[in-house]
Amino acid sequence: MFSYTFQWNQALARLPRMLDGALVTMQIAILSMVIGVVLAIILTMFRRSGNRALSGFATTWVEIARNTPALFQIYMAHFGIASFGIHLSPYMSLLIGITFNNAGYLAENFRGALKAIPDTQTRAGRSLGMSEIGAFRYIILPQMLRISFLPMTNQMVWAILMTSLGVTVGMNTDLYGVTQDLNALTFRTFELFAIAAVIFYLITKAITLSARLIAARLFRY
Amino acid sequence: MFDTALTTNDLIFLAKGAGITILVTAISVVIGTVLGIIFGVFRYQVGAIWAAPLTFVLDIFRSIPLLIQLVLANAFLGTVLQLRFSGFTIACMVLSLYTAAYCAEIVRGAIDAVPVTTRRAARSLGMSWWQDMGNIVLPLATRVALPSWIGLALGVMKDSALVYVVQVTELLKSTQILITRLQEPLFLLMICGAFYFLISFPLARFGGYLERRWSND
Amino acid sequence: MKTSYLTGALVAATMIAGAAQANKLDDIIASGTLRCAVTLDFPPMGMRDESNNPVGLDVDYCNDLAAALGVKAEIVETPFPERIPALMSGRVDVGVASTSDTLERAKTVGMSIPYYAFENAVTANEQAGISDWEGMKGKTVGATAGTYEAIWLENQVKEWGEGTFRPYQTQADVFLALSQGQLDATVSTVEVANANVASGNYPGIAVVDKAPMVPDYVALFTMRNEYGLLNYLNLFVNQQVRTGRYAELYTKWIGEGEPASLTIPGVYR
Repeated sequence: MFSYTFQWNQALARLPRMLDGALVTMQIAILSMVIGVVLAIILTMFRRSGNRALSGFATTWVEIARNTPALFQIYMAHFGIASFGIHLSPYMSLLIGITFNNAGYLAENFRGALKAIPDTQTRAGRSLGMSEIGAFRYIILPQMLRISFLPMTNQMVWAILMTSLGVTVGMNTDLYGVTQDLNALTFRTFELFAIAAVIFYLITKAITLSARLIAARLFRY
Repeated sequence: MFDTALTTNDLIFLAKGAGITILVTAISVVIGTVLGIIFGVFRYQVGAIWAAPLTFVLDIFRSIPLLIQLVLANAFLGTVLQLRFSGFTIACMVLSLYTAAYCAEIVRGAIDAVPVTTRRAARSLGMSWWQDMGNIVLPLATRVALPSWIGLALGVMKDSALVYVVQVTELLKSTQILITRLQEPLFLLMICGAFYFLISFPLARFGGYLERRWSND
Repeated sequence: MKTSYLTGALVAATMIAGAAQANKLDDIIASGTLRCAVTLDFPPMGMRDESNNPVGLDVDYCNDLAAALGVKAEIVETPFPERIPALMSGRVDVGVASTSDTLERAKTVGMSIPYYAFENAVTANEQAGISDWEGMKGKTVGATAGTYEAIWLENQVKEWGEGTFRPYQTQADVFLALSQGQLDATVSTVEVANANVASGNYPGIAVVDKAPMVPDYVALFTMRNEYGLLNYLNLFVNQQVRTGRYAELYTKWIGEGEPASLTIPGVYR
């Protein structure tokens, strides 16, 4: 019934290159997540600051990140800002695009988490002599990160999946880029992408599982 | 601010791309939601163990980049099975299942959020399973689910930018075609981004409003 | 009841599989439409006019082929990396997309005799200070993913051991990146390079040298087991040259001059 002949060995012979690509994919996702969380905390502080300009800036960032396609954001990070004479490598463009997206979504998650933390806690901290920033740092922030741990895990998975968009800006070292390159060479489309799909699946599973383990350790009390 | 070679024809061309984006999204969200509700209720009803195969399959759709799902579906249906589907059909099929996978999660979570005691009370009053589902769970769960569902629908619209890989010329692809001819990347990209933003932003705000309003009572 | 559904489904599936195994040449003539994969960001072979309709040498070539078969032509736009997947997934019948006839590809699809041959040129951003092809050593260079010249350039960069290679998904993205200064130089066909430089769309770029490569012979392609169709394609290419249509298309899209020779001295096809 099938007239198609699978040639798995041709594709499997390229597995080492694909695994190298998987490492680059994870590297980008982790970096974009770490920077994204820091930026999201800063954006959250901006939005709480009461300063019009700062909160306006943060809100604009969050709304653009949440309301336009990630592919658009990455394309913009490469070809869009190059119109201003700023040249970024595909790696940097992809990293910046994903980080921008991560920071926007995470900032929104943090805002939701903050609602669950009573304002009285800040006041209690302040009356103990803590500074505004100190109260945020030692009282609010740890709880905020804890409440938004699950959304952060989801965002991490998203970051992994978003690396596949790097091909549009000339990225060829991440897992999707490598697969695409090999596909152009051999045209074993189904076999190659099936292998890539399995690797992506294993990576995302590894992330959700380790997140669960970390959560179990961190949030025992 | 911009001196552009963009003609009315090109704007119509962009509008067509936008139309395709909306059409693909609408079809996928409708089919995906129906499937998602069925899957979600099924998963809740039969329990984690019996639903495990379904959970596993749906999980795959959430763990693999959409781009790869599209390429694989295209290669499998077309190359391996030799079925003649248009790129548009494949795009809708993949996006529907993708939507269903997320929607099932939302539905299951929403049913979970209905207090068990309320449902027991309904059943002790003599309501059937269907009455309980229709009159008790549905209204309560919808309140929980609707804001996330709006978020999902908007997410699908944004992700539909990827269907260019199966030769569907949606908004972002139309933009790229025009960039090729006109060489005004920043200007054209901004038009494209503005379009997504104008659809997504008000709906996202509306979702946020519902969430706030419904969580207070 | 259930079994009858199952049997029905099986019969239907077998019929679909059976239909797909029929002769492709007959299928095309019977369906009345020839669907060609054409890359439309590859001027002057494939591009779009002011009303965004497909035009170019490849588009004309597909129309000629359809006319010879007595059917209607349908141009399916496929970016370079999607050309062969589009064929394999049955989205198109024939590829008329300036496809190099590499041995690696011939494992998957069937190639006709060459219908065109490209020379490749180095185009550089004027700020990069590149004056010949060896000037690309150590620079950031790029080409369209999956093309003959991209494969050559990537190997060249590896051989030099310095510099970076970036594949972009479309020829347009390559030239956009080049004119923005994201790339220092690119290798593309002479035809594409000249058309892009002449278009004035990309300021600050110039053709600086020829690339020292074997001419890039490009072929029509279809499913590799469709010998009937492949024979027809071979004869069609031959007839295009014989009747002078090839020279006519060359003058129309590339300009005055001798069209590239499609034969290789000293060997049969």
